Amino acid sequence: MADLHFLANPARFRRFSQRVLPGLGFATVLMLCACLYMAFFVAPADYQQGQTVRIMFLHVPSAWLSMMGYALLAGLGASLLVWRHPLAALMARAAAPVGASFAAVCLLTGSLWGRPMWGTYWVWDARLTSMLLLFFLYLGHIALSRAYDEPERGDRAAAILALIGVINLPIIKFSVDWWNTLHQPASVTRLDAPAIHNSILVPLLWMAVSLLFLFVFLVLLRTETEIDRRRLENAAAQEEGAPA
Amino acid sequence: MTPKRRRLWLLIGSLGTLAVAAALVLSALNDNLVFFYSPTQVAEKSPGPDRRFRLGGLVEAGSVQKEGQVVRFVVTDTHKTMAVVYRGMLPDLFREGQGVIAEGALGGDGVFVAREVLAKHDENYMPPEVAKALKEAGRWKEGK
Amino acid sequence: MSNHAAFILASYLAAFVILGGLVIASLSARNRVRRELDQRGLAPRGSAPRGVDRKR
Repeated sequence: MADLHFLANPARFRRFSQRVLPGLGFATVLMLCACLYMAFFVAPADYQQGQTVRIMFLHVPSAWLSMMGYALLAGLGASLLVWRHPLAALMARAAAPVGASFAAVCLLTGSLWGRPMWGTYWVWDARLTSMLLLFFLYLGHIALSRAYDEPERGDRAAAILALIGVINLPIIKFSVDWWNTLHQPASVTRLDAPAIHNSILVPLLWMAVSLLFLFVFLVLLRTETEIDRRRLENAAAQEEGAPA
Repeated sequence: MTPKRRRLWLLIGSLGTLAVAAALVLSALNDNLVFFYSPTQVAEKSPGPDRRFRLGGLVEAGSVQKEGQVVRFVVTDTHKTMAVVYRGMLPDLFREGQGVIAEGALGGDGVFVAREVLAKHDENYMPPEVAKALKEAGRWKEGK
Repeated sequence: MSNHAAFILASYLAAFVILGGLVIASLSARNRVRRELDQRGLAPRGSAPRGVDRKR
């Protein structure tokens, strides 16, 4: 039964991803081009920050996506540990570098935004520190999943790390409310109306959707690769005559 | 209980324990996670002249005086105020009424000697025309 | 662009390098693995049967 599962699900996933990927990639490129145009030529400058507000169009969506990506890793970790879902481990391997990249973009753009606006590239306040921790959690996940000779053990260890690290997500989100920070409180995700004028909010949300497309594209593509890679490894093991 | 069930409960239990532990650690750390102190908090704690800390608040309107490289201004939390002296480059967003965070220590005369001044910006984003219109309509920063 | 153009362009450049690099790395990894599967005469699981729609 478990064996059937293992064969059926990745194959179905693979068929699905092959059908979806070309269109998704094309749509992502188109939307990102449109968003770049909006970010630079349609969106107005901010009343206080001037042109540097354009950095927000990268910074904020990558922060969202890196947090969403970690929640995804945690969900995949749970489904691996509890239900032993065969695809979960492969997808977690595929998704971790994607999330790490978005976290890196968030940190770098934030730093380049902080210098002209706050007067510093970096401070150790609760928001910035917890975001840096998220980046390191991703790196830990990547390292741990590749640390063992048997990939299954690495998958298991990385899944446990993902579940422990998920506690960092609410800390990142609420750090600006719980503690005094240099970073300002949330502008978009608050209970009342967003504190961003529509002319800036709309490009921001479009950029978020486009980068989400890129995120999904990358995760699907890399999961497909992981499925093929696992098959390749199994074939190699069988050729050596090892009882797989 | 099936093994699947058992694993699920084990997972929920350990996550719950972890969450409680994290909450305890965070509340214990709370004091050290404070990035800056307001003038009121400084007045309560009255730190010694050599103790370095960060002071945060709004730059009081009309308080900024520039004498060459030296800037003097007053930081307020609308409750208490504290005079600050600073020598150096100010960030772009530094202006009267704006949130700032100054790092330094109290001088002997009770004036805060800043070694670094950072500007804090608020969570509002809008084009300049909208900000102007809001101010003219008297709806600026309503609901705050 | 105003005086902070350097910071704005640098942040867009950084994002382009990181995310673009990841896209290129991911695509080339997929092609490499597919090629190796091909060499072993293994059709990737879930793909169309041999000869049909294999290489575009």
